[in-house]
Amino acid sequence: MRKIFFLIIFFYILVLFQTSFLIYFPFGWQFDWIIILISIIFINLLERPKNYLGYLSAIIGGFFLDIFSKNFIGFHILILMSFTIFIKFILKKYISLPIWRNILETKK
Amino acid sequence: MGINKNLLYAFFYLAEILYNGVIMRISLKNKILIAIIGVLVILSLNFFQKEVKNIFYLISSPIQKGLWQIGERVSNFFETISEIKNLKKENKELKLKIQELLAENAALKELKKENKILRRALDIGLEKEFKLALAEVIGKNISQDSLIINRGFEDGISKGMPVITEQKTLVGKISQVYKNFSEVELSSNKNSSFDAKILNSDIQGIVKGKGNLKLFLEFIPQKKEIKEGASVVTTALGGIFPESLLVGEIKEIKKSDIKPFQQAEIEPAFDLEEIETLFIITNF
Repeated sequence: MRKIFFLIIFFYILVLFQTSFLIYFPFGWQFDWIIILISIIFINLLERPKNYLGYLSAIIGGFFLDIFSKNFIGFHILILMSFTIFIKFILKKYISLPIWRNILETKK
Repeated sequence: MGINKNLLYAFFYLAEILYNGVIMRISLKNKILIAIIGVLVILSLNFFQKEVKNIFYLISSPIQKGLWQIGERVSNFFETISEIKNLKKENKELKLKIQELLAENAALKELKKENKILRRALDIGLEKEFKLALAEVIGKNISQDSLIINRGFEDGISKGMPVITEQKTLVGKISQVYKNFSEVELSSNKNSSFDAKILNSDIQGIVKGKGNLKLFLEFIPQKKEIKEGASVVTTALGGIFPESLLVGEIKEIKKSDIKPFQQAEIEPAFDLEEIETLFIITNF
């Protein structure tokens, strides 16, 4: 539960940062959801492929992106979820990163 | 609003279930069911999209405002740094432009002044009487009673041409001509001598320059009575100047019983200090 709360706060601040602060910089408004995407990719790489923190990150991050964008609620969730499923699939089938996987696990 | 809250609670509850690994223990069939429910819950939020977004905007607006301000400042700071090179270049260009504009402005002012003088001359009707050339004074030599003007033989100026002001006042004549410049010998020059008369009378004499802006009307018979303040004008005698150009006013009369002629000092009509533009009579 603590991790969910942390993720909510983290992505909320990140989206606010993205939509309020980074819009003043050229790379900020050109790729308005790139930071969220990078964060989700990192979370997926750092946890075991069988865990669900990556999915939750995609849902929460996507939800906040949808709130602060003109798209319907679910648009970014679907995109980020697709990314997560793809990463998890690749990690599960082809890549093994034992050290990275333990980083998030040790916090439990 | 109550419905929105319930939907949000449902959303977080679903997330918690996912996190706690309940899904791991349930079958694939149920996993798909939960995923479908999740998708439906999320999509159902679209029915209250305005309300949901409004809540978030309400909560976030103060934070966003702060972030906007910080973002603007930081962006401005970096923009200024990156723009310094351009600013320097732009500054240089602008300075050059200012110089150009100042020069243009000065030229326009000169033209305006010239235009004004020409208009005044037109009012007097100088152009009907004579063929004129406008010239600017570029040098004054009071000790030698001479001026330098910016017209030379390239402008059709030649030696001996009369020089007047816009008020038809005699200044002098051209004594030396260069390619683009000329020297004007003032009527008060020691070498200057020409015929003149007192206006509205038959008193004639010769005006002689004495230097230092002093003029004298000489060879006036003793019998003739002259009044101080009377105007002296040129006559066409001698062909040096056209007639009726104002020379000056009688300032002081010098009479002597032993001399056959009387003499009068003339106050020149032109003010050398104020002279900036002149007319050269090229044909009369």
